[in-house]
Amino acid sequence: MKQLIIFGIVASLAAAAFGQNVSYQPDPNWLPPNQAAAKLNPLAQKSQAMPGGRKLFQRNCAECHNPDGSGMEKKHAADLQLPVVQNQSDGTLFWKITNGNPDRGMPAFSQLPELQRWQLVLFLRTLKRPL
Amino acid sequence: MTLMNRISILCLLMLSSALACSAQESPYFVTYNHHLEEPGNLDIEISTTTNVPRWGQKFYFAPYAEFEYGVTARWTTELYLEGQSTYGDSTLFTGWRFENRFRPLKREHWINPVLYLEYESINGADRIQKEIEGGAPDVSSRNSELRASTNHELETKLILSSDVHDWNLAGNFIVAKNFSQNEGFEFGYSLAFSRPLATLASGSSCRFCRENFSAGMEMYGGLGSTLGFGLHNTAHYAAPVFAWLVSDNATLRFSPGFGLNHESSPVLFRFGYSYEIKGFTSKLSRFFGGEK
Repeated sequence: MKQLIIFGIVASLAAAAFGQNVSYQPDPNWLPPNQAAAKLNPLAQKSQAMPGGRKLFQRNCAECHNPDGSGMEKKHAADLQLPVVQNQSDGTLFWKITNGNPDRGMPAFSQLPELQRWQLVLFLRTLKRPL
Repeated sequence: MTLMNRISILCLLMLSSALACSAQESPYFVTYNHHLEEPGNLDIEISTTTNVPRWGQKFYFAPYAEFEYGVTARWTTELYLEGQSTYGDSTLFTGWRFENRFRPLKREHWINPVLYLEYESINGADRIQKEIEGGAPDVSSRNSELRASTNHELETKLILSSDVHDWNLAGNFIVAKNFSQNEGFEFGYSLAFSRPLATLASGSSCRFCRENFSAGMEMYGGLGSTLGFGLHNTAHYAAPVFAWLVSDNATLRFSPGFGLNHESSPVLFRFGYSYEIKGFTSKLSRFFGGEK
């Protein structure tokens, strides 16, 4: 039990050091339709489109998700580096960017052209923390 | 630090913080679409409407300031302060309006409705023509006569908007009731479409990339009132619209509106410059010693 508590404390401190939103819990009701989740990223093989995604991320997302994607706890913004985010399909991430989640303060970014939203998805993949 | 000092620093902070933020402005001047202000952001815009007068009319310049704040992801509130200057006549403050837009649906749909409610207190000299309802505005009388009449008006709009293959299509139907005059209910419309000039973002930070520009078209006018519904005796305009994301925070917009009938001005020129302060509430809270 004592080891578990120590592990918990160490894990929390490590997470805090990375600026991670440790309290982030995905909204279980924020799920895309199957058809949307199955969509493939048309830019998946075009890595040259990723820097554009980074620029869009800094412009539109970094205010809440932090420039490194770790998420701001006080804004309830997801830590985009977490496996719970990274394990989602490209189509799911695209749908979430498009629709937002007003109940959790995430705005919709449907005003961005479709390809730019896919560029964002491409960039989100680079945030995945190495194992 | 005194309160005045804090307020002065706050003003500087607002301007400087704007240099590090971004804006995604629609190119429209009259038509609203379903994209609301992001929660916690403040968008400040200075715009103007000027006319090319008909024979016997005078050139005017009608500037207005707009403060748009995202209360939640589904509710945006906005305050307008309006003025007007007519060549060979006078310059005056013409009034203010307060508006709110609500998105009833949570998700993006094929057509996205937004409900709009506005209260305005403006005098008869107001010429920004943010929307046209009822008959055409009086641009011939002197300001001293026009300012004598103050209008207290409640206005609602049904905003329908759709994003189809990077095109935005939007339509607004306006119903307004002026409580100061017995004009019945007045009606108006606006229709618009626009598209960015490029849909893929470049990796570099560029100002003149095509992705920073969008263009489209607006058409707007009055539909008369319950005393006489229809397209006659009211102004109608067709207006190309252009927007340029000048920097990450600022947008410049321009629209020449061409009058389609004799009730309209031959041309209305509209210019707008806006900048967005992201996380305005948090910055304000931090400044006044709130949550870090």
